[in-house]
Amino acid sequence: MKKTKVQKATSRAPAIGERKALRKRVILSNTNALEVDGMPDLFVGNMAVPEVAGKMVGLPGPVVDSLRAAEAFKVTQGWSLFRKPAVLMRSETVEMGKLIQNLDAQTENRKTIRKIIAGERGSGKSVLLLQAMAMAYLKGWIVINIPDAKDLVQNHAAYAPIPDSQPLLYLQKTLTASLLDRLQKSNPILTTLTLSKPHTFPLPLSPQTTLSDLALHGISDPDLAWPAFTILWTELTSPSSPIPGATRPPILLALDGLAHALINSHYLTRDAQPIHAHDLALVSFFLRYLRASPPTDLPNGGLVLAAMSASNAPSCPALRLAVSQSLARQRGEEVPEWDPYRKIDTRALEAVSGVDVLGVGGLSKVEARAVLEYYAASGVVRERVDARYVGEAWTVSGGGLVGELERGAVRMRV
Amino acid sequence: MPPRLNLFAAPKLLAYRPRSGFQLRVVQQTQQSIRRGFADSKSPSKPEDKNAENAESLPHVSEEAAKMSEITGKVGPDLKQGSPVEEIVQGDKEAQEKLPKVLQDEIKSSNNPKGTRSYSTSAARRQDDLTTYTPNNTDIVSQTGGLILGQETTLQPAQSDAITTPATVGHKFPLPELPIPKNMHKDYRYDPVIEQVLGLIILHGKRAQAQRHMALILNHLRTSPPPTINPAKPLVPGAPPPSHLPLNPVLYLTLAIDSVAPLLRIRNQKGAAGGGVALQIPVPLHMRQRRRTAVRWILDAAAKRKNRGSGKSMFAQRVAEELIAVVEGRSAVWERRQAVHKLGISSRSNLNKKGLRRR
Repeated sequence: MKKTKVQKATSRAPAIGERKALRKRVILSNTNALEVDGMPDLFVGNMAVPEVAGKMVGLPGPVVDSLRAAEAFKVTQGWSLFRKPAVLMRSETVEMGKLIQNLDAQTENRKTIRKIIAGERGSGKSVLLLQAMAMAYLKGWIVINIPDAKDLVQNHAAYAPIPDSQPLLYLQKTLTASLLDRLQKSNPILTTLTLSKPHTFPLPLSPQTTLSDLALHGISDPDLAWPAFTILWTELTSPSSPIPGATRPPILLALDGLAHALINSHYLTRDAQPIHAHDLALVSFFLRYLRASPPTDLPNGGLVLAAMSASNAPSCPALRLAVSQSLARQRGEEVPEWDPYRKIDTRALEAVSGVDVLGVGGLSKVEARAVLEYYAASGVVRERVDARYVGEAWTVSGGGLVGELERGAVRMRV
Repeated sequence: MPPRLNLFAAPKLLAYRPRSGFQLRVVQQTQQSIRRGFADSKSPSKPEDKNAENAESLPHVSEEAAKMSEITGKVGPDLKQGSPVEEIVQGDKEAQEKLPKVLQDEIKSSNNPKGTRSYSTSAARRQDDLTTYTPNNTDIVSQTGGLILGQETTLQPAQSDAITTPATVGHKFPLPELPIPKNMHKDYRYDPVIEQVLGLIILHGKRAQAQRHMALILNHLRTSPPPTINPAKPLVPGAPPPSHLPLNPVLYLTLAIDSVAPLLRIRNQKGAAGGGVALQIPVPLHMRQRRRTAVRWILDAAAKRKNRGSGKSMFAQRVAEELIAVVEGRSAVWERRQAVHKLGISSRSNLNKKGLRRR
């Protein structure tokens, strides 16, 4: 039999990493889409007022830059179809805005609030996290974001035990460097903050060294990433003072895909035993502040938010139990108990039990209408937005699940 | 031949059964007989007995079809059974006399007023029915000649309720326009061009996957910059300005397909040219055929493109890029179209060849 010749393309093959870069590219603007008239931008004054509830607001440019640097936008979200990123101020967002508005490092209101964001697939958990981050940036907070906990546990990065750590922790230096990179790029405020006390660091540090410079040391050399991060964290959590360069704003710690952080990771010990995610230094750092008992407070106040993922989540019975218990407590129902004859990951349960759960559900019809009107004003929906269309879209999106609403109205519309 | 009647076997068949003294015959009697509404009432009252919930039965298929055709404004099946003997013999005295007696009686009775009231026993229930009577029903008005007369005597308990409850006028949802449009059907959900392209993209029966590809193609068209039209490769007349295209991706797609769709195809007729040489005959194409050819060409051209990225969206991206290339006049599909047209022009004299079978 004659061999058929495989036709080879004559054009240049994509360079290494180019395909992945294309796949992971986040596009935040569509120049074809129309600009929406009369849509206000989010700012400190309107982020917690009840009048803005149920309306779309645009995200201001600097905040968009910060959010992009923090990798808060995801490829799977439909930002690429609209002129500029805009979000719906749903009731949960306004509540979150009130929390952020009331927290202040200077006054006595410096408390630490912990929340797990839970809800159905497409209910807007990740975007709620993004909104919290946007509001924190507007308030001048420091935001540390872990865009997907899966990246920390999937064994794609170098790892090594931290010597003399008790209990033994494993460090991922490249991931720490990328965390520092996100932190440094997304928080321009770090350039105004300087070191408040001397630290031991492999490189000489002057008192004028800004926290941004310190982070840059860690970014440029992954071997220095962990020491740089620990010093940065000690500085950020040191007491705030009104002296320029020594103010320490509240902190927002955000993590998406919580379930990945509560199970065995894909890393192995020297004895080829799986390493629990809690033994990874970065995961352990975050969970230390999420934990409700015993709680570790942020000295200058802040918010610790962990969003669950419904589309990419490993099974984690401990998290499921903790969430159902917390929701039952909120509703005043009987708190479910774990069957004592079945195994449960007690470490995971201790980490998340007792943490407040913010349940996110479907939008109301008024909110759904606001979203659909925004789509229509952007020119991507061509139907007339009336009660009938809103009702239909709301119903077929599983009772106003915003992700499904977008899928049905804009993205998967054939 | 053995005797038909086997007397020895008879005792086996005729079993001796002692007669029971008294047997109670239990007849399952429903507490309340199924109530039938009047012929003119719109909705027969439901049985009150809970056990008889399913006592209501659906109408016969043809009855339902007749009702449906009445709604849609068409002629449905005739519900009358048997041959209409009465109509046939109408006015024919001689034939009527030769009819069987049953039919004769029937004809006589139908001409005369009936003597008995078939609903004479339902007087008590009549009142029950009236309690659920709404003024929406028009027969009160029709019975009483437009005025509700004798209200005090006959409709006393019901009418007081009926008047206080607000009347629901009209329909909850507007009635469809009649006749119902051809495409108003769940199977005609998308634009015809979209449907056709979907059918050509689909592989291994995975329709949802094809739909996702289609959605990605349309999204790519939505987000790419407006095309720059090449005057050397004219689009179909009446095309909107390029700036209007991205926000109407279905139109964009249709424009690309219709612009490169060939007007004809070449049929090679074997041996018609003599000496075993095929004769090329141009055959005009219908709209769907033209579009199909164009989509096939576009998909072929897209298959030759190289992926720049990876993942599920690459096929859609290649097709979308090819569509944009078509509208901008860069695509090689234009040359294919031109070649077919050229061949068609050169071979049009073949249409006059003798001995060609018309197909």
